[in-house]
Amino acid sequence: MVSDIKQAPESPAGESGTDNPAATSDARHTGAGHPVPEHTDAHALNLPWLIERTRIWTRRALILALRVSRLVVTGLRHFRPGIRYLWRALLRRWRRSLEFRTVSMTLLLSIASFAVVGAYLSNQIANNLFQERLKQAESESRYYVKQVQDTFDGSQANDQSSVITLVYDTLKAVEGNGSVIQRRYVFEAMPEQTKPRNRWVESRASDQLTVRVIPPALRKAVQESGKDQYWASTEFPVGDQDHPGIAVGNKVTFNGTVYELYLLYDLDTAQQTLDEIQNVLWAGGAALVLMIGGIAWYVTRNVVSPVSHAAVVSEKLAAGQLQERMVVKGEDEVARLGASFNHMAASLQEQITQLATLSQMQQRFVSDVSHELRTPLTTVRMAAEVLYDARDDFDPINKRSAELLYNQVERFQSLLSDLLEISRFDAGAAVLDAEPTDIFQVVSHVIDGASPVAAEYGSEVRLTSRHKRIIVEMDARRIDRILRNLLLNAVEHGEGKPVHVSVAANHDAVAVSVRDFGIGMTAAEAARVFDRFWRADPARARTTGGSGLGLSIAAEDTKLHNGWLQAWGHKGSGSNFRLTLPLKKGGTIGKSPLQLEPADIRLPGAAPERQMLVLDAGEGAPEQDSATQDSVMPAPSEGTTSPARNLAEDDDAGTRGGATP
Amino acid sequence: MKARILVVDDDEALAEMIGIVLRNDGFDPVFCADGGQALDVFRSAKPDLVLLDLMLPGSDGIEVCRQIRGESDVPIVMLTAKSDTSDVVRGLESGADDYVPKPFKPAELVARVRARLRPGDQKAPETLRIADVTIDVAGHMVTRGGERISLTPLEFDLLVALARKPWQVFTRELLLEQVWGYRHAADTRLVNVHVQRLRSKIERDPEAPEVVLTVRGVGYKAGS
Repeated sequence: MVSDIKQAPESPAGESGTDNPAATSDARHTGAGHPVPEHTDAHALNLPWLIERTRIWTRRALILALRVSRLVVTGLRHFRPGIRYLWRALLRRWRRSLEFRTVSMTLLLSIASFAVVGAYLSNQIANNLFQERLKQAESESRYYVKQVQDTFDGSQANDQSSVITLVYDTLKAVEGNGSVIQRRYVFEAMPEQTKPRNRWVESRASDQLTVRVIPPALRKAVQESGKDQYWASTEFPVGDQDHPGIAVGNKVTFNGTVYELYLLYDLDTAQQTLDEIQNVLWAGGAALVLMIGGIAWYVTRNVVSPVSHAAVVSEKLAAGQLQERMVVKGEDEVARLGASFNHMAASLQEQITQLATLSQMQQRFVSDVSHELRTPLTTVRMAAEVLYDARDDFDPINKRSAELLYNQVERFQSLLSDLLEISRFDAGAAVLDAEPTDIFQVVSHVIDGASPVAAEYGSEVRLTSRHKRIIVEMDARRIDRILRNLLLNAVEHGEGKPVHVSVAANHDAVAVSVRDFGIGMTAAEAARVFDRFWRADPARARTTGGSGLGLSIAAEDTKLHNGWLQAWGHKGSGSNFRLTLPLKKGGTIGKSPLQLEPADIRLPGAAPERQMLVLDAGEGAPEQDSATQDSVMPAPSEGTTSPARNLAEDDDAGTRGGATP
Repeated sequence: MKARILVVDDDEALAEMIGIVLRNDGFDPVFCADGGQALDVFRSAKPDLVLLDLMLPGSDGIEVCRQIRGESDVPIVMLTAKSDTSDVVRGLESGADDYVPKPFKPAELVARVRARLRPGDQKAPETLRIADVTIDVAGHMVTRGGERISLTPLEFDLLVALARKPWQVFTRELLLEQVWGYRHAADTRLVNVHVQRLRSKIERDPEAPEVVLTVRGVGYKAGS
């Protein structure tokens, strides 16, 4: 391989130093044929050979690339899921583990820096080895060429055999003593010169070498110059393998014929030395990288483990294990972190315990008040009822007083129980007692219960549904209370017009809507209807004695179920209340199966039967109500502890679908 | 003969009012204001039914309930101001047959009392069997393998109701109506707690019942 051609004596050491070593250092690896000529003359001389080699290697590389890519493609097809999984796992690891990231970054960076340092060292060594050998080769060559020239000049031989013997012996002497050839030679008559009569030697070389091992560029340089000495890197066969070497070219004259004399120096030993050094570098680099990786892992672990310990502990704290603390060792930053973390946890625990105590006290208070108030109220209520039952024996004044007493005690009692219920919600003491129950059972029960009141108002309550049975995980007592409240409200404000109850379900939710065609309400009123003690019309007499808390309790009950309770209203067109519950306890609602804003707004008054506002799950129009958005209440559900609750057969299908006043 | 009813309540006004109502409806009330003396009064008065307030000075209502139940099968109806699940269940588990939450109406109280005092259904000589349990309805006696099992009247009624129609699955509401005499759906915890109490007495292994079976999602039925 040709890397450089120079006139050695004139070549500045520095320049040759920077140019040569790379070529030599990888002579073994790329020596088979990637000539990288660096001088223009060499380039020009090498061109045809170079093009040929390039063509062959390009073709080989192409075939190899094709094969590899086909292999990779089939391999990928087989292992794609595995590879993808591995890749994702790695990425996840990278994202989630500081340790993994630090160690792999350290490894990558140290590998890169070792590659740079290794390449530099290897280059430096190769350069030095080559330069040393080159210097030796040049001075030796000069010496031996001079010897040869002197021998030729002083020779008296003029017959063929003695000339040949002389030439052979002289050249043999150049090879050196001993069994190992120290330098090889190639002796060749310069072409294109007139052939003298006594020229008996045309060419000669050691080891069956031919002049073809000499780079053409070198030959050209030698042929064209005067008496200068040239050198080039090359390769020549020794035994059955090619060795890298240096060819040093000179001209000698013998009997009027100009010969080219090339001395070839084997660089194999230098190459071997270099290889060994490179191996050592590789091994050392690998070991060092591994060690650095290990050190990085250890150090990171030391730093990260308290942090991940802190993460674990804070997760436990967040999960409610308030007594959890970090282990603090030493006085360093990590220990300080641990100490302040523990301090934080302690004050957190204290505050939470305090809050819990407060909440417990609140619950106790509510419970005590409940008992303390209820006992006298019971007495008052019983007494009032006794008086009420005997009212016909009283004079008109006392009779009316007894009636007022009785009615107001009833009202007081319902107000008290509503207040206690609300305070139970506020104290967080309300628990969801959910069981799979058929919603129709509850709805029918509510309609049956409300029928006396409906009859009193002259309203007809209609139940409409496409379904026969919808099992919902719910607290039947609370749902009963919500629906009773909605239905009684509808009857109360329905002005004697029919009240429509619709039930529908989709894959994740069930909805019950209660529609009346009475006085209705504005959007602003609909938005406030769940507020405590709020009344649409304060002047309006509360004929059914509601506490003003009914809908607030209904909203709280719904919240406990993770459901929605929404209201729609239109002055003069009535109102519509819709309860939507997830089918499963703790589930979420994507979309309510029933429409909140009825399709029949324009028809005030009693709607004919065919205009029932039943909309089924899949076809429900998108929500249009803006006024009711703020009454949507998704909320977390609470855990429950519960004995069994209402569960009954689906035996009341006969009461469904028709009017049940 | 007037049925005698022991009213155990520390609130004198309420006790007196209850007394007025009971007397009005033809009962003979006896009073006790202190839980500590309740057992003594119970022994001397021999009431047909006990109305018991859950929160009492001295010993609390649950303790009194347990003491009375320890020596008698007399029906016990709790008066409770706490409608919280745990208190009601605790009261029922300590042996009460039924409860009336405060504030109650006089009619409600009287209805509960009458339901518990209701003379058992016509006690024609009748012998029922569920699994290996024999029930002598007229003799008010339950035996298993010749061994007598002591049941309260309510538990007995519950068992008889199930045993009379072994083919039928009883919903909790139906049992409330038939055994407790509720006309409207009431607290189904009554049924759950009493079925558990009944099982603890008549089942060989209450965890794997053979006599009173649960029909998931519906209710209970008699074993075969």
